[in-house]
Amino acid sequence: MEKITVKAKYAVRGNVKAPVLWSNEPISFWGTVDPQSGLIRDNRHPNYMQNMSQKVFCFPTPKGSSGTGLIILEQIRTSCAPAGIINLRSDPVVLTGPIIANRFYNVKIPVVNLSEEDYMKLENAKEAEFYEDKDEITIYY
Amino acid sequence: MRLTDHEKAMLNGDLGEITQQAMQALYDLSIFYDVEEFVEIVGCHDDSTVYAGEAQVAFAEMLAEKGAKFAVPTTTNACACDMNLWNRQKMDVETMSATRRIEAAHIKMGAVPIWSCAPYHVGTAPSFGQQVACAESNVICYYNSVIGARTNRYAGPLELLCAITARAPYFGLHVPENRRAQGLVKLGKDIKEEYFTDESIYNLVSYAFGSIVKDRVWALEGVPSKGMTNEILKQFSATASSSGGIALFHMIGITPEAQTLEQAFGGNKPRETVEIHLEDLEKAESLLTNPEVDELDAIVLGCPHASYNECVMVRDLFDKRKVASNTNFWLITPRSVVDRLKDSGVYEELIRSGVQVYSDGCILEYRCNNLGTRTMMSNSGKFDTYCFSMRGIQPVFGSMRECIESAVAGRVVKEAKPWRK
Repeated sequence: MEKITVKAKYAVRGNVKAPVLWSNEPISFWGTVDPQSGLIRDNRHPNYMQNMSQKVFCFPTPKGSSGTGLIILEQIRTSCAPAGIINLRSDPVVLTGPIIANRFYNVKIPVVNLSEEDYMKLENAKEAEFYEDKDEITIYY
Repeated sequence: MRLTDHEKAMLNGDLGEITQQAMQALYDLSIFYDVEEFVEIVGCHDDSTVYAGEAQVAFAEMLAEKGAKFAVPTTTNACACDMNLWNRQKMDVETMSATRRIEAAHIKMGAVPIWSCAPYHVGTAPSFGQQVACAESNVICYYNSVIGARTNRYAGPLELLCAITARAPYFGLHVPENRRAQGLVKLGKDIKEEYFTDESIYNLVSYAFGSIVKDRVWALEGVPSKGMTNEILKQFSATASSSGGIALFHMIGITPEAQTLEQAFGGNKPRETVEIHLEDLEKAESLLTNPEVDELDAIVLGCPHASYNECVMVRDLFDKRKVASNTNFWLITPRSVVDRLKDSGVYEELIRSGVQVYSDGCILEYRCNNLGTRTMMSNSGKFDTYCFSMRGIQPVFGSMRECIESAVAGRVVKEAKPWRK
């Protein structure tokens, strides 16, 4: 498997490697993601009917409802949360679930921001890997 | 980070385990955004109230049981259902039980129990320039844009941690320089001033604005100030934060930090200017409406919750006529507004017209399977954005007048509009 390493800014750290689910479209978890399965139910989203459970879910920016934090926490409880999150820009709405999971429950869902150029390199990636102690991620093809 | 003695004490655990964990989470957020200090907040709007699953209830109960208290006035957002009339709404027992547990936990922490996504309609909004921490996208957008209070987009339950510590990371829209507009949306000449006498156009302009601007701070030029109401600005806030991630918009000549173009841009030039045209409004409406819908299972007003004035407008538009027998009309308004409607007799008139008046709940939690509902009409760009993905409901968008005429006719009634072909 070919791989490359790119620089990443971490919001939440962890050693995690998982398959990639990528899109170039903003998303609101609340109102779009089924918190019991991880399925994306908005027929306007390019990942419609795809499942983010245990995957590295990549979307450029969050949008819409601030209920997203509650949805991600529920996804963690029902074991269908993404394994990690990659954004161009994360807002506090998307960071809430992973940060609270880490501080209150010691569950690690790494979240990183990449440059636009590196973000596009994920489009055809198979897997991505996050680290506890390095400011980078590895992308596998 | 530069920390005060009190903040250090909170982080060290001197004020208890929960306060410490809350500060640590806010600290993590601060480090990610390269924030150098916390800002003291004076209020919070708590959106960890609509039941989204057991994780949320368990988290609030854990906080409450460990003795967490809100250090600033904290208003509760809408919950999942009307806490008194939930059975008539065919809400399931599980959701209602969870809602009562949410209520108990949040009241134990000291919440102000307004149960509304329109806190600005019931006298609990902050003032211009005040630092607050809010969740609920329409409230964030309204407080920032229409009032000029300062909050970032906090998500439930992060705002609870801000309320417990009375702190927010000092970054983003808390900082005056970041509140200036970067880009400008202008209305094209084909969108004429007289079109704005129909309030539904604001939802379509807002939908287009949110789609273009996404999560940035931009201004909108060309909207007439004549006839502007808080209810229109509410709809604009809710829709722009649904089609995009808008936390702050500037409406030139209307909103307080944009009385002039120069003020909105802090003396700078817009980095980018985009024009919107009638075809953008047509596209927005097409995304909010399934044109094949004719018969309506229900019509809903109150996303976000209706003000007292809007309830009076509904009464006036019905003008003693009744909701057709083949459909339902739901009006959702804060519980304190229901009390005022009863005081004035408007409540009785609405009931006589067949309007079902509910409070507390979010209409997007509507139990369509229990009610046999497939099609719904509303005057809300937010409701029509989410109702299919959340509930599988086919939406129809229309003005408040069209909603009431459709309710009386029992099928979709739409007027000719410049943006409809």
